[in-house]
Amino acid sequence: MEPLIFILAGTLAAATPLLYAALGELVAEKSGMLNLGVEGMMAVGAASGFVIVALTGSHALGFLGGAVVAMLLSLVYAALTIVFLANQVASGLSIGILGLGISAAIGKEYEGTTVTTFAKLDLPILSDIPFLGRAIFDQDILVYGAIALAILIWYLLEKTKLGLIIRAVGESPHSSHVLGYNVALIRLSCVAFGGAMAGIGGAYLSTAYTPLWADGMVAGRGWIVVALIVFGTWMVPRVMFGAYLFGALTLLELSIQGIGFNVPSQILSASPYIITIVVLAIISRNPILIRQKSPMSLGETFKANS
Amino acid sequence: MKKLSRTLTKTLVAAALTAGLSLTASAADKFKVGFVYPSPVGDVGWAQELDKGRKGIEAAFGDKVETVVVENVPEGPDAARIMNQMASQGADMIMLGSFGYMNDGLKLAARKKDMSFIHASGFKTADNFGNFQTRNYESAYIAGIAAGYLTKSNTFGIVAAYPIPEVVGIINTFTLGAQKVNPDVTVKVVWLNSWFNPSKAQESARSLISQSADVVFSLYQDTPSVVTVGEEEGVYVINTSSDMKKYAPTKLLASLAIDWVPYFTERVKAAMDGTFKGEPYWGGMADDAVSVASLSSDLSAEQRAEIDKVTASIKSGAFHPMSGPIVDQDGAEKVAAGSAISDGDMLGINWLVKGVETRIPN
Repeated sequence: MEPLIFILAGTLAAATPLLYAALGELVAEKSGMLNLGVEGMMAVGAASGFVIVALTGSHALGFLGGAVVAMLLSLVYAALTIVFLANQVASGLSIGILGLGISAAIGKEYEGTTVTTFAKLDLPILSDIPFLGRAIFDQDILVYGAIALAILIWYLLEKTKLGLIIRAVGESPHSSHVLGYNVALIRLSCVAFGGAMAGIGGAYLSTAYTPLWADGMVAGRGWIVVALIVFGTWMVPRVMFGAYLFGALTLLELSIQGIGFNVPSQILSASPYIITIVVLAIISRNPILIRQKSPMSLGETFKANS
Repeated sequence: MKKLSRTLTKTLVAAALTAGLSLTASAADKFKVGFVYPSPVGDVGWAQELDKGRKGIEAAFGDKVETVVVENVPEGPDAARIMNQMASQGADMIMLGSFGYMNDGLKLAARKKDMSFIHASGFKTADNFGNFQTRNYESAYIAGIAAGYLTKSNTFGIVAAYPIPEVVGIINTFTLGAQKVNPDVTVKVVWLNSWFNPSKAQESARSLISQSADVVFSLYQDTPSVVTVGEEEGVYVINTSSDMKKYAPTKLLASLAIDWVPYFTERVKAAMDGTFKGEPYWGGMADDAVSVASLSSDLSAEQRAEIDKVTASIKSGAFHPMSGPIVDQDGAEKVAAGSAISDGDMLGINWLVKGVETRIPN
């Protein structure tokens, strides 16, 4: 395994949990729901997914279970913000913290244990291609699933009526309501979808990427996901690019250290975050770029006047 | 965020602790020992090894002692609160399991003269405040010899926590051990700047393997993530603290094992007898505090015999792993021929030996 293959193959895997969670969060935000609880949702997804794989040996069940449990947590957020009209930011932060606590409780008995790795796809001809074969075609199905999901979400949001409705709700819930759309139901569905995707991302971390459970293993990825949406200015291709860039940077850092470049490792460790901040700062200097795709009602609660 | 959630958890734990202790306070005049761990007691790892020491105390003293554990305590105000709580609930002795508990522990020790404290890996002591650490560099030397025998690529990779003297010393003796039997060995290091980051540790291991390392050393990583990568990729792995044979049944080259039971037992006994003094303890192979576990069966009989010979000479004190002549990365002589490094120099070591390609970040 040469260094370049390591970085290419590793980038695809490292970006996968980020991508699932980010695509889910993007859909939620497009409907106007700023759910900051991604970290907690990923954590419960990771813990419950891990426990299920440990008990049943089935990764499919693990991903499903992780998605369901994280979705349930996202529904708590939906209930707070849509039914009780609580502040979105505060509610998201609270369920994020709650999720971390719940994940620690779910995983208590499994602390530091491992499960079998999620099997890689055996693509007979493609994986025999020199270099690219091992870098790109020696992955598990969820790595490709993330790319497929990105295309699907892009198509859904940009090309379908359902996407238009979601975006309309995110732009102006009042107008959408007047037009006869059930704003609460649409927002709830988008939040639930976001929760399920965060759960899959979390379960991917604990059962495929690093097949072990340890409290705190999501390690801030949920926050990176929230930043990725802004980084990608609410556009699927850019969010996707951001996820792969972030994955590549984290791996590049490790490779550079091993090769023996004389750069302080602390700076290298911080580099993905530093670059994220720099890019965010650059993007934010251009208000048009941000405003173009950012949902107008993002973060605002909505109460129908009937 | 994580910190906040931990704070909440800790508050609940502390509340439960208060309730639990006050119930048992009047039960008997048992000798109470509190344990504070920086991480959860997992299947393997630092807290798990400390907890084996605690169980050793319970086994040794039976009904005479009672132990109380609070795990996963972040360094800082939370730790201070928990140890103060333990003191106010009548603990006679407290074991502090992380470097960052040192100053809060010392403050408490100054107020509670009748209590005894032992602190992991610190450098300050008081009359009733001792500290302890292990000479893992001794077992690292042995593991280095084993790695030097079995490597084909002559390239080792180390996934290391922080560039602190303890870690630097282990990297040095590991390299020297390998060079003893295989002078061509070079060592690459990835500094994680973390005790705990399973996914980054795993990716570091893969990165080192991609740069042709065929022995990967998981140095103070608190999860088996590096070890499992070794088994998966078919390269030898070495790890610290716990025996991780079950995570790499065919590729585990050696585990640098720690045993706190002898030390903890002796300290508790001293505290019970009133003879406890706050002293630094640096346990090595001679004290049975460190050893090499699960040596790979791929080593030949002659290789094992050589390893046993060196082990015996370290144990008897006849040989120090940092014996001259030793030159650093730039070729400057650091330890002269015929002499060994002093304990003081070893505790502050900040240079790497020749053969290590990575620099210490400054």
